[in-house]
Amino acid sequence: MDAAERDLLTETLRKTMTAASGQALEAALDELGWPDLLAEEPETAVPAVFLLLGETGAHAPLLNHVLLAAAGRPLGDTLPLPYAGGSWVVWNRADGPGAALDGDLPLRPVAEGEAVPLAAGRRALGWWLLGTGRAMLALARTHVLDRTQFGRPLASFQAVRHRLAETLVALDGAEATLVAADDDLGSLLAKAAAGQAALTAARHCQQVLGGIGFTAEHDLHRHIRRALVLDGLLGSARELTREAGALIREQGTAPRLVQL
Amino acid sequence: MNVTEFRSGLRDWLDRNDLTPGPDHSLDGQVAQLARVRRALYEAGWMRYGWPAAIGGFGGPAVLRAVLGEEVATRDLAEPGIYSMIEVLAPTLTSYAPPALAAEMVPRLLNGSEQWCQGFSEPGSGSDLASLTTRAVPRGDNWVITGQKVWTSLAQYAARCVLLTRTAPGHGGITAFLVDMDTPGITVRPLRTMHGVDEFAEVFFDDVAVPGDRMLGRPGDGWQLAMDLLPHERSTCFWHRIAHLYTRLDRLLAETADPDDADLGAAYLALHTARCRSHATQRRLADGAHLGPETSVDKVLLASAEQRLFDTARDLLPGVMELTDSPWRTEFLYSRAATIYGGTAEIQRNIIARRLLGLGRD
Repeated sequence: MDAAERDLLTETLRKTMTAASGQALEAALDELGWPDLLAEEPETAVPAVFLLLGETGAHAPLLNHVLLAAAGRPLGDTLPLPYAGGSWVVWNRADGPGAALDGDLPLRPVAEGEAVPLAAGRRALGWWLLGTGRAMLALARTHVLDRTQFGRPLASFQAVRHRLAETLVALDGAEATLVAADDDLGSLLAKAAAGQAALTAARHCQQVLGGIGFTAEHDLHRHIRRALVLDGLLGSARELTREAGALIREQGTAPRLVQL
Repeated sequence: MNVTEFRSGLRDWLDRNDLTPGPDHSLDGQVAQLARVRRALYEAGWMRYGWPAAIGGFGGPAVLRAVLGEEVATRDLAEPGIYSMIEVLAPTLTSYAPPALAAEMVPRLLNGSEQWCQGFSEPGSGSDLASLTTRAVPRGDNWVITGQKVWTSLAQYAARCVLLTRTAPGHGGITAFLVDMDTPGITVRPLRTMHGVDEFAEVFFDDVAVPGDRMLGRPGDGWQLAMDLLPHERSTCFWHRIAHLYTRLDRLLAETADPDDADLGAAYLALHTARCRSHATQRRLADGAHLGPETSVDKVLLASAEQRLFDTARDLLPGVMELTDSPWRTEFLYSRAATIYGGTAEIQRNIIARRLLGLGRD
């Protein structure tokens, strides 16, 4: 897929995700050829689709597809997913309010399941978290440019500017780890970096959005809920960071994963 | 020569030619070791790859210099900060010096026969570099320079200085020269530093006459010169420094009796993130991209990772830094400067807010 084709795909996906979510989005993506794309070009399809889920705020049970495809199983199923703290959940294919903090996501607690192909799932979730972080930063950026206090736009206050700069640093750093992730450890680190970046974005963006961002009518809280829930799926940033620490402690050396 | 051939040939050569530093870890010792490493690598040719033929290089992609610096850092052959200065100085000369001057001078830098310094900051002009006041006034064929620089790394060892002066008001009134440090009227006074390595100095200029053909670029090009060298610093130099920091994380893993997985993992994740970002920057540079304000992100990631690493070392080697005179003490203290030198963390965030996020003026 060349750059022009990728741009076209992104635009098509963005329109689709803006129009539909949940089961309807899954059906729309089916029609766009998502299953074939996932089978043939996962390294293009997964970043594009999951980043846009985050940026648009849409959701669909696509993580099931990614894990099933990586396991070489047919796509029309669900499977138990490990969650932070030793919990397990299933991502239902049908819509319906879930009990999770992000009630739009049809997650349901289940008993312990079988091992899943973690690396592929962590990369997908990492891109989703990155997109969610970028969505929060975009909301905060618009707000600080529009809102005036003390006769000046909020964007002119250095304390505010530096929070948003710090958010961009975290997100761009996480993106670099996602681009580089091509093995188990790289995917683990990328999910940790993306989870941490999304939580950084949530903290700083919430702060600069002030009372307006705390209302339910502003979209910020949807992205914050999503980031918090997605962070725990297939291991939270905190757990994965600890796991990486245990690994380098046991190996006695820190692997240099990307090479010139 | 491609990267793989270069790296394996270089490793093979380094395995057969021992350049391990001697017992003298003083700054004098470090500078002497740097000269030794450069001379050996130049004579064997490794130091010349990735540099244009016009300045004594063998040509080839600039990434070869990053590979060389990574190998030097990984084997702890030279202190990475002073090793990497060449990455800023040589491209500046290549871009701005008259070709004959660059051809004459840069090989001395590459082959280890000279150290150079950068005269940028002044007592009144730190973060606000463009406010510098060291004056250069034309007199006959010369320019006469008067003023003071400070925080000038290696000035006491330097044969030459890339010096920023004021020739007119404003950003467009800054002019750069390559000044011989033995010119009458220059006084260097090394400064004591917090970490005990007196690597920088005050430099005083008292009616120092510099020939007009030592001007770098034209009058008023100095600010652009300073801006143009940032991408060099933030690509190859950063890659070297990150390689160096991985060796310190490995050393911490070997030495700690109190390994905390969460702390070790956080230090590793921060380093890995800086490395991935720097890798992407190297790629963009190799593809011919012009590096700009987005390298401030690299700078913040690297400085934060460096401080986190040494904070972790202090936590997991309790008492070592405070009670024993080990390299950890010097390196921990030096890491405190990572968010100050090369543009403070605050300046980087200002650039990110203004140029990358489009938040307008503050």
